Amino acid sequence: MSDTIRLVVDGEEVEVPTGSTLLAATARAGADVPTLCHDPRLDPMGSCRMCLVEVEGQRRLQPACAYPAMEGQVVHTSTDRVERHRQVLLSMYCADHTLDADGLPAERALGNQLRAHVEAFGTGPTLPPIGTPRAGREDPNPYIHFDPDSCIACARCVRYCDEVEAVSAITLAMRGSSTTIATADQVGLLDSSCELCGGCIDTCPTGAMSEKRALGLLGADEETVRSTCNFCGVGCQLDLHVRDGEVVRVSSPPPGTTVNDGNLCVKGRFATEFINHPDRLTVPLIRGDDGELHEATWDEAIRVTAAGLMGVKERYGADALGFVSSSRCTGEENYLVQKLSRAAFGTNNCHQCAAT
Amino acid sequence: MTNSIPEIRDTELMFVIGSNTTEAHPIIAMEMKRAVRNGSKLIVADPRKIWLAEIADLHLQLRPGTDVALLTAMAHVIIAEGLVDEAFVANHTVDFEDVKAAVAETTPEWAETITGCPAEDIRTAARWYATTDKAGVYYTLGITEHSHGTDNVYSLANLVAMTGHLGKRSAGLNPLRGQNNVQGANDAGASPVFYPGYQRVQDPVARKRFEEAWGVPLSPHDGLNLNVMMKALNKGDIKGLYVMGEDIVISEPNCSALEVGLNDAEFVVVQDIFMNETCRFADVILPAACFAEKDGVFTNSDRRVQRVRKAVEAPGEARPDWEIICDLARACGYPMPHYSGPAEVYAEMAALTDKFSGISHERIEAEGGLQWPCPTLDHPGTPTLHQGAPLIGKVEFQGVAYRPSEELPDEEYPLVLSTGRTLYHYNAATQTRRASGPMAKQPVNFVEMHRKDARRRGLNDGEVVTVRSRRGAIEATVAVSPRMRRGCVWMPLHFPESNTNRLTNDAGDPVTATAEYKVCAVQIDGIAR
Repeated sequence: MSDTIRLVVDGEEVEVPTGSTLLAATARAGADVPTLCHDPRLDPMGSCRMCLVEVEGQRRLQPACAYPAMEGQVVHTSTDRVERHRQVLLSMYCADHTLDADGLPAERALGNQLRAHVEAFGTGPTLPPIGTPRAGREDPNPYIHFDPDSCIACARCVRYCDEVEAVSAITLAMRGSSTTIATADQVGLLDSSCELCGGCIDTCPTGAMSEKRALGLLGADEETVRSTCNFCGVGCQLDLHVRDGEVVRVSSPPPGTTVNDGNLCVKGRFATEFINHPDRLTVPLIRGDDGELHEATWDEAIRVTAAGLMGVKERYGADALGFVSSSRCTGEENYLVQKLSRAAFGTNNCHQCAAT
Repeated sequence: MTNSIPEIRDTELMFVIGSNTTEAHPIIAMEMKRAVRNGSKLIVADPRKIWLAEIADLHLQLRPGTDVALLTAMAHVIIAEGLVDEAFVANHTVDFEDVKAAVAETTPEWAETITGCPAEDIRTAARWYATTDKAGVYYTLGITEHSHGTDNVYSLANLVAMTGHLGKRSAGLNPLRGQNNVQGANDAGASPVFYPGYQRVQDPVARKRFEEAWGVPLSPHDGLNLNVMMKALNKGDIKGLYVMGEDIVISEPNCSALEVGLNDAEFVVVQDIFMNETCRFADVILPAACFAEKDGVFTNSDRRVQRVRKAVEAPGEARPDWEIICDLARACGYPMPHYSGPAEVYAEMAALTDKFSGISHERIEAEGGLQWPCPTLDHPGTPTLHQGAPLIGKVEFQGVAYRPSEELPDEEYPLVLSTGRTLYHYNAATQTRRASGPMAKQPVNFVEMHRKDARRRGLNDGEVVTVRSRRGAIEATVAVSPRMRRGCVWMPLHFPESNTNRLTNDAGDPVTATAEYKVCAVQIDGIAR
């Protein structure tokens, strides 16, 4: 078997590795095939029907995300038939989704792909709302909110929880238009096998899974700053979402772009409450003769610190000083602490908690 | 790590030892889970039946502190069964005879008596590891935090070298680093023996380089590493201490002795973002900015230098650590330059090293994270180390022999305590104890124990007990757990009001002085109410 296969997408010949899907081939050709249930980290499911394309020789439209690319295939991604299919499909989704005043799928959280597709491709005939009630659940967990009326039952969250995080805390439940996302016995996530990674929020295409603390806030109104997580040594890249000078939520850069491949853990995604916490130290403190800590200016604090450390050096020599640097601080700060220790005081007694 | 995190998904075998990856490195664990889904074999060696053990092909549930016995027995099998990569050993290593001699008698049957792992499982692990092409070793503090941590690492390195699992993708020897920037802190020379870029302070050429750059004479003597420094504090040899961004009272072993030292010290400075336990002993407390409030770089486990970017302002008068350090140096009479920002500090460091001299803030901005070695501005960085040949020329085999941990269980303290981190909290937990999810999941300190050890003592799940060692006693909640071996208990280190490091042993490895957090003897008693 050859390593690559060639096929024609919208009149352009492309070469892709053997075993690729049509979605990969159409992407290679630069064709923008819309998807909803697709996530590159997950096995193809082919359930949302958004990515159907025309394959010559096939009577029916085929899902690009799940259909194998084959040698010599001729594929069309935007024929009248494909466009008509997309509009009818989007009409059906709209009939079963929370709409805003303009009749568009409501904008939520970090974006709603369904809304973007409706804006891009339009809808067909307006269908009567389905309105079947879907079961939600009271869930006291502090982070993850689920809105059943914005869910399109694509199961990305369920598959992520099973295939990537592998804890299988959530599942599809019920049938037909009642299909919803549930836990076993509808217990709260804190009582399930959920590890609060928030991958369900990240993968959800419509914002039905969203972050409680940022509920109602739209990503479009936030400034994002790319940074590196400050917990373990994996080096996950984070997008810090800033609103009115506060970090209101954290998201991962898209899959395939950084070392964490779109994933984050409970600490990286959610444990940011410390940043704005009222317990933060905000002013230098000096211990007085009374044994208590007293607020001081930076000038005083630096002067007292310098005098204290220099005093030890004068009385006992530089090697009576120890400098504990920090593997939590930046590389530049560690460089400067060892320079402080070596150049300003003359001792190599400088270390941090490096055991691995 | 010799290799890179994204390579894990393509591996054919993972040997995970002394790493509870799903809790300590959750995103690396996701790559491991993906590798298993793709058909990779997984061998887990851990005294606890950790999450990864549930999906492993083989779980070696060894007694804590017996890693050298396990690993030398694996080496014995590989040599005895002719599974050595002779070409790699001949071309890229020296002193293989030392290992051959050291493992001549370390049969799997012998190791079974020490580790408690069936000899046949040890054979299977050795065969699988030696005969799989892309086989990677992944370890963390379960290997290093022992009085024989260096021997543990040598034993692993011996296995890697004798099977030639070095210098190729999805293999190698991969310590998963514990903190966001522990790699970067070492790289930057926050080390008693190295200047930035692992240049030895005892090397006159290196010293001259830094003396010229910094304009002052430098000490030619190795400094004290952290564990020794803490003991020197207790003995009164260290009189002044500057502590940035670590709560040493929570993080260091045998903290009661450390508290005596801190109390006797003449001058202690703490620079941090929260009031912590060490602040009780501080003469001055300097408020610092957290990661979201400053610029700089963190270097992750796979040597990837990535940017930290300021997103919000620091609260009140808190300032970035780098600014504080520069002001302090100048107040002490050292002419620290007035850097325009961290980019300029990084440039000064990079120019003094060979490994990072091609890395700059500007390049990371344009290209994303860069993995060192990256010696020139047009060098793409190095995802996989030792390709073609080992960087140091030849790998030196180290013959090592098993020796027991410093403190073994006895009648008075019959249980072996290991300590570590959980998924929901992080180290001294000043940050995660202020996070609602982690507090909902794990609000208090607990001691994981085998149901039979609990039953013998008449203890129930959820009961508050006293855990005591020769160094101290604390209260914790019993968590009866199917993960535990009999005779072994496990506790996290995140809870200041129940500080597990009152129990731990500060005995250190003879080379690195890294303390034995993973093995000490304790007893557990019910509390009469």
